[in-house]
Amino acid sequence: MKHTKIILMLLVLVGVTMHAQKELDKFEVQVDGLGCPFCAYGLEKKFKEFKGIKKVAIDIETGDFSFLYPSEKALTMDAVIAQVEKAGYTPNEAKITRADGKVETSGGNTTVLSKESVVVSQQLFAAGKCGMCEARIENTVLGIPGVTAAVWNKDNQQLKVTYDKSQTTIDGIQKEVANVGHDTKAHQATADAYANLPACCHYQRLEQ
Amino acid sequence: MRTYITILLAIVLLVSCKKEPVNMGWKYSHSISVKGVNPIGIALTKEGIWLSDGDHFRVVQVNEQGEIIKSIDSLDRPMHIAAHNGQLVIPQYGNDEVIRFREPASPEGGSERIIVSLADSLDAPAGADIRANEIAIADFYNNRVHYAGADNKWIIFGQEGKLDGDFYYPTDVQITENALWVADAYNNRLQKFTKEGAHLLTVGEDQNMNAATGIYVSDTQVFSTDFENDRVLVFDLEGNYKQSLTGAINKPTDILIKEEVLYVANYKSSSLSVFTWEQLEIIEENHQEEHHHHDEHEGVLEDNK
Repeated sequence: MKHTKIILMLLVLVGVTMHAQKELDKFEVQVDGLGCPFCAYGLEKKFKEFKGIKKVAIDIETGDFSFLYPSEKALTMDAVIAQVEKAGYTPNEAKITRADGKVETSGGNTTVLSKESVVVSQQLFAAGKCGMCEARIENTVLGIPGVTAAVWNKDNQQLKVTYDKSQTTIDGIQKEVANVGHDTKAHQATADAYANLPACCHYQRLEQ
Repeated sequence: MRTYITILLAIVLLVSCKKEPVNMGWKYSHSISVKGVNPIGIALTKEGIWLSDGDHFRVVQVNEQGEIIKSIDSLDRPMHIAAHNGQLVIPQYGNDEVIRFREPASPEGGSERIIVSLADSLDAPAGADIRANEIAIADFYNNRVHYAGADNKWIIFGQEGKLDGDFYYPTDVQITENALWVADAYNNRLQKFTKEGAHLLTVGEDQNMNAATGIYVSDTQVFSTDFENDRVLVFDLEGNYKQSLTGAINKPTDILIKEEVLYVANYKSSSLSVFTWEQLEIIEENHQEEHHHHDEHEGVLEDNK
């Protein structure tokens, strides 16, 4: 009789735990440029400040960042991306697996080419200095409608961009790069945009 | 007669080509793999070398072959550690605590972990140092340094900025007999202060460092890791540049000298680069003068200790 009671209590406990686990949404974000441990641990630290966050895990080698968060708080994809960006990182892709099994994803290049498309490749200068700069510049440019490829070289600070001339312009691309804090020959980042970059991204500014 | 001529020629040769071993410096010797460890801080106790392994939430002791022989686990992102008199000081970036750790006195005993009590809270302590009764902490996100002397009274100095005495994310600190030295990481420089927090010297601003993440001060030299540029820069105590070390260095984070041997902790390659103090080149003074290679000559002399 005593044993039956214990087993019953354990079953109830397991049931309660499973129910509690079901109430958590799982967030997985792939972040580029986690080379510096000071910044990477900083990202983790900033997310730990969220009340109720659980199992914060960050793999510096792969840039995989994940955590669990109570579903009742309905944390949105936009809010997660904004928090990652606030910490100075650029998310490549993000995935939310809600407690009810629904999956939400974001990220990736969405440019669609048409018959009118005129695809060209061009090199331009974009100031930066580290892996985090690389991730930010490339992802920003890849997010511009009309851009199909973007590769930034840390050593010479040259960005090779492939884009559809019917959808965007090289000036527009440089403007977007400057908007996220990186000087180009055509557009300089604002003082605020530059100041908002993480410490390790503070490159030598261009004189214009 | 032939013998005399040979001797005379040898004397003339010796006189005309006077070699003076004046160019001493740190020379790359070898690397030690510390497999499975991504070292950030390095410290020395009587037992040997300890490495903080923030990625794996631990501090480990390694032997000369780089094998882990002890591990202090359950730490929250331990950073630039320090050791004194058998005690390790471990700043934990993740939970804003700095602990004093002491190994058990006997095999049966438990280890001692005491949280350092401070005058104000920390936000991501990235480095700490102890020297007898003194302790100093680099407070990363607050852009400050906390220091307590033998009287155990804390002083806190620094603020975010670029001017002398300001910090932009300090990551490491060292206490010497008369000063406090700080790795002002993202201002890409080192700074020296009095123990009252007054600025004395700024070092390395002209060296194009990209994140001066770690500092080590010996009796005659100051060392800075240059994280993104994969090198360690050597200065004299007045801040004059002396040498750049590059042998097998990959994202260096800290430096230590043990018995005339210099160890560099490489975060990315999970290794220690080992350097020894040696004669780097023999300067042939007379030949230099004959060929008017004054610039080259000066460049070599720059590497002197």
